[in-house]
Amino acid sequence: MGAAVSGLGDGANGSGIGPGLGDIPESCVACVFMYLTPPEICNLARLNRAFRGAASSDSVWESKLPPNYQDLLDLLPAERHQNLSKKDIFALLSRPVPFDQGNKEAWLDRVTGRVCLAISARGMAITGIDDRRYWNWITTEESRFNIVAYLQQIWWFEVDGLVKFPFPADTYTLSFRLHLGRFSKRLGRRVCTFEHTHGWDIKPVRFEFSTSDGQQASCEFCLDDTEHDDANGNHKRGCWIDYKVGEFVVSDSEPVTEVRFSMKQIDCTHSKGGLCVDSLFIIPSDLKKHKRRGVLK
Amino acid sequence: MSSTLCCSFAKNVTLRSSDGQTFEVEEAAAQVSQTIKRMIEDGCTGSVIPVPNLTGPVLALVIEYFKKHSPPSDGCPTALLEMEIKDWDAKFVAVDNDTLLDLTLAAHYLEIQGLLDLTCHRVADILNDNSVEKIREIFHIKNDFTPEEEAEERSKIQWAFE
Repeated sequence: MGAAVSGLGDGANGSGIGPGLGDIPESCVACVFMYLTPPEICNLARLNRAFRGAASSDSVWESKLPPNYQDLLDLLPAERHQNLSKKDIFALLSRPVPFDQGNKEAWLDRVTGRVCLAISARGMAITGIDDRRYWNWITTEESRFNIVAYLQQIWWFEVDGLVKFPFPADTYTLSFRLHLGRFSKRLGRRVCTFEHTHGWDIKPVRFEFSTSDGQQASCEFCLDDTEHDDANGNHKRGCWIDYKVGEFVVSDSEPVTEVRFSMKQIDCTHSKGGLCVDSLFIIPSDLKKHKRRGVLK
Repeated sequence: MSSTLCCSFAKNVTLRSSDGQTFEVEEAAAQVSQTIKRMIEDGCTGSVIPVPNLTGPVLALVIEYFKKHSPPSDGCPTALLEMEIKDWDAKFVAVDNDTLLDLTLAAHYLEIQGLLDLTCHRVADILNDNSVEKIREIFHIKNDFTPEEEAEERSKIQWAFE
């Protein structure tokens, strides 16, 4: 019969109204915390000192971290994660952890503690990237990597890449983040130009990926509308679109999963251009569905 | 309880609350509690099992839970029965907050994992639906932070809400 967390509340202290939440033993508090998300637990730390203590306990936070969180810590310099509590480790890993020269980032979803990954266009092999007639780099706040690859025009459109990462067990969705047209800021307003945008309505782009354990997926998307509907506008232009390629399943973080991905439109009978390539995301599949955003209450 | 004959009748035990109320319940049902189960197995139950941590009204509720969750005499529970129990559970913990805490403590003392999970989940839902100020009020928690500490605590958890 574990001892009650001393002074968690002012409960049965002669107030005559039965026990307070503070009178329940620490093991029960831990059981309550099992049903709460990290932002919710952080919020409860504001109740009083004892709750701050309970909401910081390693056992609570260990259960919120992925089993192989050490693999993520290993991506950081040792001095940044020495002697940290599990709560501080969670806070540290919920901010982007860069790796592979900063062209890739992994982080924990703050609400679910699940592992997400992004790969910058900088970390991809882009055919013709060094030829300024084809491709340019544009710095922008609209990318989490602050830079996107802008395609002016080309015949052979091919972007490839691979990532080796100890994904914890989960089902992941892989998607490319693309933008048709070039954007800039003029007098504080975002403006898009489509002077180079052409060719994407003729044939679809083929997206593919495969994993080291033999899973693969592919699909095709037309990046531009074939008919320009002036009344309703063109919904594929001037905004960032996530093109979902498919899903893969990881059953264990060992052995490390390798994912190879590509995006191609290599029909050289027509040229195409006016496209921004930002990044590739690998995110747990039902994350968006389950999302319970934290709000400071 | 003097009979040592093995009988097919359901065997009963008597539980006594902190305020002296006694309740008779089937032994199999009472063994939903690991604490009571151990006491019965150790043979240290005598004629009456004292439950000093629970008042009569709370013990009465817990016994209701025992009855609903006692292992069925005819083997495995069916999916339909499980669904019915789930519905019953949801209604069972839809009680006022003080009773909810009493039940949480009872589940802890008597080691009733199913009830503990149930009440903790309900507490979590209430915590989640209310502001910090409201939670303090609902669950009688005294704020012992200084205003400076409170502001500091607020800034320290900002990472979780970015």
